[in-house]
Amino acid sequence: MSELKETLKAQIINQLSLEDLTPAAIADDMPLFSEEGLGLDSIDALEFIVLLESNYALKIADPSQGREIFHSVNTLADFIEKNR
Amino acid sequence: MKVLASCFLSPFAAVLNGTVKFQFQDDNWLKECYHKLMLDYPKFYKMDDLSKMAILSVELLKENAYLNNFNKDELELIFANSNASQHTDVKFIDSYTNIGNPSPSLFVYTLPNILTGELAIKHKWYGENTFLIASKFDTQLFENKLKHAQMKGAKHCLCGWVDSKVEKNGTLTQESFLFLVALNEENSTISEELEALFKKYKYLSTEKV
Amino acid sequence: MMKNNVYFSYGTFVSPIGIGVDQNFEALKEGNSGIQAHPSSGFNNENWFFAQLNNLEGNRYDSLLKTALNDLKVNYSSSILSSSKTLFILSSTKGNIYNLPEDVFASSRIIIQQETGNSNELIIVSNACISGVIALNTATDFLRYSDYETVIVIGIDVISDFVLYGFQSLYALSDQPVQPFDKDRKGISLGEACGIIVATKEKPTSFSVEYLGGASSNDANHISGPSRTGEGLYRAINKTIERAAIDKSSIDFISAHGTGTLYNDEMESIAFNRCDLQSIPINSLKGFYGHTLGAAGIIETIVSMLSIEHQLLIENKGFNELGTTHSLNIVTKTQQQPVKTVLKTASGFGGGNAVLLIQAAV
Repeated sequence: MSELKETLKAQIINQLSLEDLTPAAIADDMPLFSEEGLGLDSIDALEFIVLLESNYALKIADPSQGREIFHSVNTLADFIEKNR
Repeated sequence: MKVLASCFLSPFAAVLNGTVKFQFQDDNWLKECYHKLMLDYPKFYKMDDLSKMAILSVELLKENAYLNNFNKDELELIFANSNASQHTDVKFIDSYTNIGNPSPSLFVYTLPNILTGELAIKHKWYGENTFLIASKFDTQLFENKLKHAQMKGAKHCLCGWVDSKVEKNGTLTQESFLFLVALNEENSTISEELEALFKKYKYLSTEKV
Repeated sequence: MMKNNVYFSYGTFVSPIGIGVDQNFEALKEGNSGIQAHPSSGFNNENWFFAQLNNLEGNRYDSLLKTALNDLKVNYSSSILSSSKTLFILSSTKGNIYNLPEDVFASSRIIIQQETGNSNELIIVSNACISGVIALNTATDFLRYSDYETVIVIGIDVISDFVLYGFQSLYALSDQPVQPFDKDRKGISLGEACGIIVATKEKPTSFSVEYLGGASSNDANHISGPSRTGEGLYRAINKTIERAAIDKSSIDFISAHGTGTLYNDEMESIAFNRCDLQSIPINSLKGFYGHTLGAAGIIETIVSMLSIEHQLLIENKGFNELGTTHSLNIVTKTQQQPVKTVLKTASGFGGGNAVLLIQAAV
């Protein structure tokens, strides 16, 4: 699980072009979409859908479903573990 | 009309009001410039190169302070280039033909006027926006648009020629020339001044310097 | 401020429901939409709906542009088209997109010059979905403040995998024909068309409308998400009304943008209410033509001109029940009504908003 989380952090940085961030700077429970966290927006949420589809063959049909799944690295990893 | 301030960015150097401000060593010159300007705007990394160049150019121009003095509706943005969003278009096509899925964050940058949107967002500029495509840097086009803005009561325009093109061999041709124009001065023409500045800055920002 | 009169007359209109302005008007009156199902058109073979032109051969963009220019030549003499006092403006978001990675605008310059004999530098406006309205405002500026007699404004965009996959990746496409402002709306249907408006200083002998004013404004909020306060649209409408120097109670009809996405239509309802225009009859034509991007502002202005000429408001196709939090007076069926003054609005990616006002010419 922790390996998956580290991989996810690197994939997030790459997929969203967060060039100045290192995986270590993203805490497992950091809220990705709030200003206190990474401050991501609606387009980034769509990129998460692409990320899950390309790397984990997981499909999310409705973007509004993504809100809870994409909350943090923890919730993302949980979703991947349960569904793949 | 009169040019109050101007700057030029190329992969080799940044020129502000006729003086070379920085030279770039890094292949990722946009990131190098971002750090040299000590900018703290994480959204920058998610932008396409056109928007990055425009954002950096305005930061450079801001050193003259003029740009901080405008009301939210006052400044009109007149931008142009010759290759529209070709650079990001090519990347977007690659995302669905080679990488696997069409990328939403690339698609939103497949329009050249997104750069004026990025400037508007960062600086809270609600004023008029136009993005035009010309086969080359066209001083007459800018002069016409400036004259129209003046006749409609505008006092200042921020103009820019921001271009990024992927050549056949994969190399990039990039340049960004921004100039802030005051419309309340007496001169009715600005073409020659712009032509001279563009030539001079292009020369100053080439590799040879 | 100097304010010379500027008149708009029909150039031509090529769309999936008609070749020429008359055919389009007949189709609108009949309620014929150009939007059809296109099985397996999506990136993962989804069944998307869009309004596509048949009979375009070879490069579909070039073919559409030539078709439109040939029709224009039927109504305008070569002495006008080729005159040094005539300027051409092209409004397009993606131009000849099939030509990527080569120059997408090169073929337009060549075709317009060859077909019309006009050698002035082509002005190209590429401002996303507000390009058409910006181009008409720019045309008026060239007539009022530069030395031209006629400005011919061409709005054109074609459907491509590029644009279809792009809107698909944004989850912005509807799996049903678009339903602007409706409570069940699910997103856009794409479309393709070419519309041409001829703007002149002289009042033409044929039917024309007078241009009253126009403006643009940026939301300064988000590059793809509409403003939650309708800020840019609100400002652009107010500025337009101020420039036109009319009382807003004299506006008879609003030709809105109405893409059919949840957030865009909601944003428009907020802006129109902030401007206190919510009781004025309003429609979106996207249910007939789909979203034609850079052509939208031009073709929708042509239909506004038809509404003024024939005193007929066209229904907001696909609409059943209002689905915005703020009220709007949607035109639910095509009906005769006095129409003298029309407000045309557009909003698009990059946070841009553009507006213009036209009025029956006296």
